[in-house]
Amino acid sequence: MATTQAGATVLLGGAWRASTRALTNVGLATLMWRDIFRVLPYPRRYITATLQQAYIMGIQSLGLVLFIAALGGAVTSQQTGAQFTGGLPLWVIGSVLAASVLTELGPLLTAIILMARVGAAIAAELASMKVTEQIDALYAMGRDPVAFLVVPRVLGGFLVVPPLVILADFMGLFAGWAVGILAVDGLTTADVIYGMRFYFRTWALIFSVLKGAVFGVAITFIACFVGLQGTGGAEGVGRTTTTAVVTTTIVLMVLDVLLAPVLKAF
Amino acid sequence: MIEFRNLYKSFGPLQVLRGVDLVVQEGETLALLGPSGTGKSVLIKHAIGLLEPDAGDVIVDGVSIANATPAELRRVRRNLGYVFQNAALFDSLTVGENLWLAQEDEHSLRPPSACCGEAEELLSKVNLDPSVMNKYPSELSGGMRKRVGVARAIASKPRYLLWDEPTTGLDPVNADNIDELIMEVGRKLGVTSIVVTHDLDTAFEVGDRIALLYEGRIRADDTPAGILENTDPIVQRFVRRTRMDAA
Repeated sequence: MATTQAGATVLLGGAWRASTRALTNVGLATLMWRDIFRVLPYPRRYITATLQQAYIMGIQSLGLVLFIAALGGAVTSQQTGAQFTGGLPLWVIGSVLAASVLTELGPLLTAIILMARVGAAIAAELASMKVTEQIDALYAMGRDPVAFLVVPRVLGGFLVVPPLVILADFMGLFAGWAVGILAVDGLTTADVIYGMRFYFRTWALIFSVLKGAVFGVAITFIACFVGLQGTGGAEGVGRTTTTAVVTTTIVLMVLDVLLAPVLKAF
Repeated sequence: MIEFRNLYKSFGPLQVLRGVDLVVQEGETLALLGPSGTGKSVLIKHAIGLLEPDAGDVIVDGVSIANATPAELRRVRRNLGYVFQNAALFDSLTVGENLWLAQEDEHSLRPPSACCGEAEELLSKVNLDPSVMNKYPSELSGGMRKRVGVARAIASKPRYLLWDEPTTGLDPVNADNIDELIMEVGRKLGVTSIVVTHDLDTAFEVGDRIALLYEGRIRADDTPAGILENTDPIVQRFVRRTRMDAA
């Protein structure tokens, strides 16, 4: 009996601490958003750094994003071909390919690449700056770390991810078509184009781009927020990076689910 | 003038500052001595608003740091330079860009290359060759990084300089150079300095006044000669080595 009570107390204590920590983080994140919006009317404070960040995130991630998008498109057309051949007309492959790439694979795969490549790097960089007093040095110089570090990264993510998603969409569709033609017996270019046109709506493309913008902001904001809370030495930086990647993965999937109804709304 | 008023600060159960009262007059150099871990760095971090006190306040030029608005705090910080213990240089920026960042207003769009003349002058003040301008902090030795940190702190021409263990980890020659630099900025630029150190040589070399922080309070606050003559056993124990050197 006493053991059960002690176990329940420990469990409740743990739940209480976790809830308090979560609420504290929500509060701190809200304050950081407030600070971001306070800085936005003064572009001279962040425009140069934003362009640098956009270059780092966009140009340097482009190759990997296109490669992964191509693989995503290729897998989709092959899997669809394998499952639907004989049961449904082959042009359905084109529709499934367009639907999958535009609404899911393009934005999500781009976001996952950006999270791994850019989000982890931002979290590690900012955590390292925190533990080596570089953030304190910014404050000491009268500089605002939010204007100097956070806004350029979040804005960079917002600006860069949508164009990356468009390119990833294009690459996914192209690779899906090319591999489909080679791997699925009887599938023709005309089938694929007919299927794609049958599915295609302008809103799906807009939705894809909007999703990219939301993901871009989420990845960079979470990386900055978690990174700036870094503590400890090298181990702390590693822990912070892991936290940022895990948190971003969860948030991306939750956002993906929450955004799904928006596609149906128009 | 910087005035610490009845300052208290704890980190969890650890009570670091337990009612510190200290005044640093305009133009003087105060050496803040104390054993490692007594809160010397914690104390000066309150002066620049990097830490918030649990109780008490720091007044810099009449502005209460504890109650300052972000804008007031930024204004105060523009008049304060802080030399970090480990330099805290921005490692993704070159030496030149580090100095540029300290010199330029954050609304400026002037590129880092536009202020090379001023940066070279700053580097020469800390006995560094201008060739380090394009190097990254990771390419410099510890002593050079420290001197770049000093150059960055004086780049904005502050009225007050807070030196956090400026000579720790330096060889004797470079430690002497930094001591001379502390005295020089005091003399030439009229800068008011607080030098946090546990290096007695530095404290007695640069300090117009020496304060001893012990167990969270100021135990002694006097001229170097007055400190040497202080009969408090704690103070005596702390400055014994200097006394022996003098003898």
